[in-house]
Amino acid sequence: MVIYREEYRLYDFGPGHPFSPVRLEMLTSLLKALGVWREPLAPPEATREEVLTVHSERLVKRVEAASRGELYPDLPEYGLGTGDTPVFPGMDRAARILVGGTLEGARRILAGERRVLQLGGGLHHAQYDRASGFCVYNDLSVAIRHLVRSGLRVAYLDLDVHHGDGVQWIHYEEREVLTLSLHESGRYLFPGTGQVYELGRGEGLGRKLNLPLEPFAEDEGYLEVFEGLVPWALRAFRPDVLVVQAGADAHFLDPLADLLLTTRAYERLFRRVLEYAEAYAGGRVLFTLGGGYSLDAAVRVWALLYHLFHGLPLPGRLPEGWREHWEARLGQPLTPTLHDPEGAYPEVPRRREIAAYNRRTLERLMELAAPHLLH
Amino acid sequence: MLVKDVMRHPVLTVGPETPLEAAYRLLLERGIRHLPVVEGGRVVGVVTDRDLRLATSHLHPGGPRPGTTPVAEVMARPPLTAHPLDPVEEAARLMRERKIGCLPVLEEGRLVGIITGIDLLDALLKLTGVTEPSGRLEVRLPDRPGELARLTGFLAGRGVNIHSLLSYPEEEDVVRAVVRVNTLETHLLAEGLRQEGFDVLWPPKKPW
Repeated sequence: MVIYREEYRLYDFGPGHPFSPVRLEMLTSLLKALGVWREPLAPPEATREEVLTVHSERLVKRVEAASRGELYPDLPEYGLGTGDTPVFPGMDRAARILVGGTLEGARRILAGERRVLQLGGGLHHAQYDRASGFCVYNDLSVAIRHLVRSGLRVAYLDLDVHHGDGVQWIHYEEREVLTLSLHESGRYLFPGTGQVYELGRGEGLGRKLNLPLEPFAEDEGYLEVFEGLVPWALRAFRPDVLVVQAGADAHFLDPLADLLLTTRAYERLFRRVLEYAEAYAGGRVLFTLGGGYSLDAAVRVWALLYHLFHGLPLPGRLPEGWREHWEARLGQPLTPTLHDPEGAYPEVPRRREIAAYNRRTLERLMELAAPHLLH
Repeated sequence: MLVKDVMRHPVLTVGPETPLEAAYRLLLERGIRHLPVVEGGRVVGVVTDRDLRLATSHLHPGGPRPGTTPVAEVMARPPLTAHPLDPVEEAARLMRERKIGCLPVLEEGRLVGIITGIDLLDALLKLTGVTEPSGRLEVRLPDRPGELARLTGFLAGRGVNIHSLLSYPEEEDVVRAVVRVNTLETHLLAEGLRQEGFDVLWPPKKPW
């Protein structure tokens, strides 16, 4: 089941901002041009009360006021009105619509649906008391909380190139939520957290796992540590459902980060995630989108996800008409095929060293987490 | 950052007549390593777990001292101390130069706290750590007046908030500045800085 509605595009920080609704417009028009678009389920927007299951009243109040053009003087303390997360008219409702989509996904899972793809959301930086990094409300945590309150154990997998800090902190002390985030190390990239020793607190100890990766990590090295970590943790945790933030910004074309994945790695990642959901989570999986700031790359990565999600054969070339339209509109060339061409970026001289370092990070993480996770 | 910002208090102390075995039990039970020795309200020495272990070891050249020995016989004296208003780096320098693990903190002769190597590590973590969601810039600056101002001025002009700034001399005439800023878009900032002639080490320019 796919969840989407046109109003997702109201979540718009304005021209020039990387978290652009054009990404959704390009994606849905591509899927239509490919003839694979099926009518999605239009979710209701989340209510204020639903947002308050994971956010503070004082944050929500400020977002609501800013939506009406009333600006509290202390907005920056709440991560609002900054360069990254500026305020705009109607932002409260725009954010609640995205939350509503992910929450509807959770409801559908509880109603017996096995696979849900929410074509939006993934606002993993939003914290209890502050907006952060393009994220106003945390749709993932609202959905996860709903699943947990309904008695499910939730494994959250964050593929975005940035650490999934908001989701991690909101559920930091919870036993029923496993968070797994693979990201470019906070030593180099926003938000700076996500080191191996952030393992959770209290009942949540050993159930918050972070694999920070060296800049310029590539397909093979990434997949090796991914396949080393994820099934190991899922087997130990035995979730009832997998929630996946499928950010596309670990792609080598991404202008905001420094990992070097190609679409071939994403294909294998998504196939693995679907297999892991079958093997360890009763087949139940809820995908959201996330970061991804190269329009060219993000749209192809998510088109790939859409096809694999539905078990459709992958197209080779993308429809000419679609590509010409968007090249003219964006004023930039687009990759003509779903997959990246071979040898799309220059060879990385430190490849072996980077892969070895990441392997060592995985070992350290597993050593630290094993005593808490395995028993 | 001052000593009073990182010191611990209240401080556990012993008297000079306290037997070694009692002092040892105290260290063990409280999970600490240092005990100021106080007599008549004055700090007269410091005894550490190492002092106790060496004094009571059967490997000691003079033979092990009995557990009933008063700590006054093995403590270091006179004690080296700090003032709450000393900068932490001054305390660190004294501890490094004298190779000691703690300084009792005195104010007008009164014991008000203690600072140990662990507290200095906390200070280091606080100075270099990530306390807010932020991105990182690393820039090499010529070591001359106005260069850091040019960098921070550029960031201010872009409406970027600086969460922390660490700089250290790298080689002759070059200072390295590590800046944590409240934005995901550090690549964009780096591009702008390079256009202004800055030598940006991180984030890198992509060749594609």
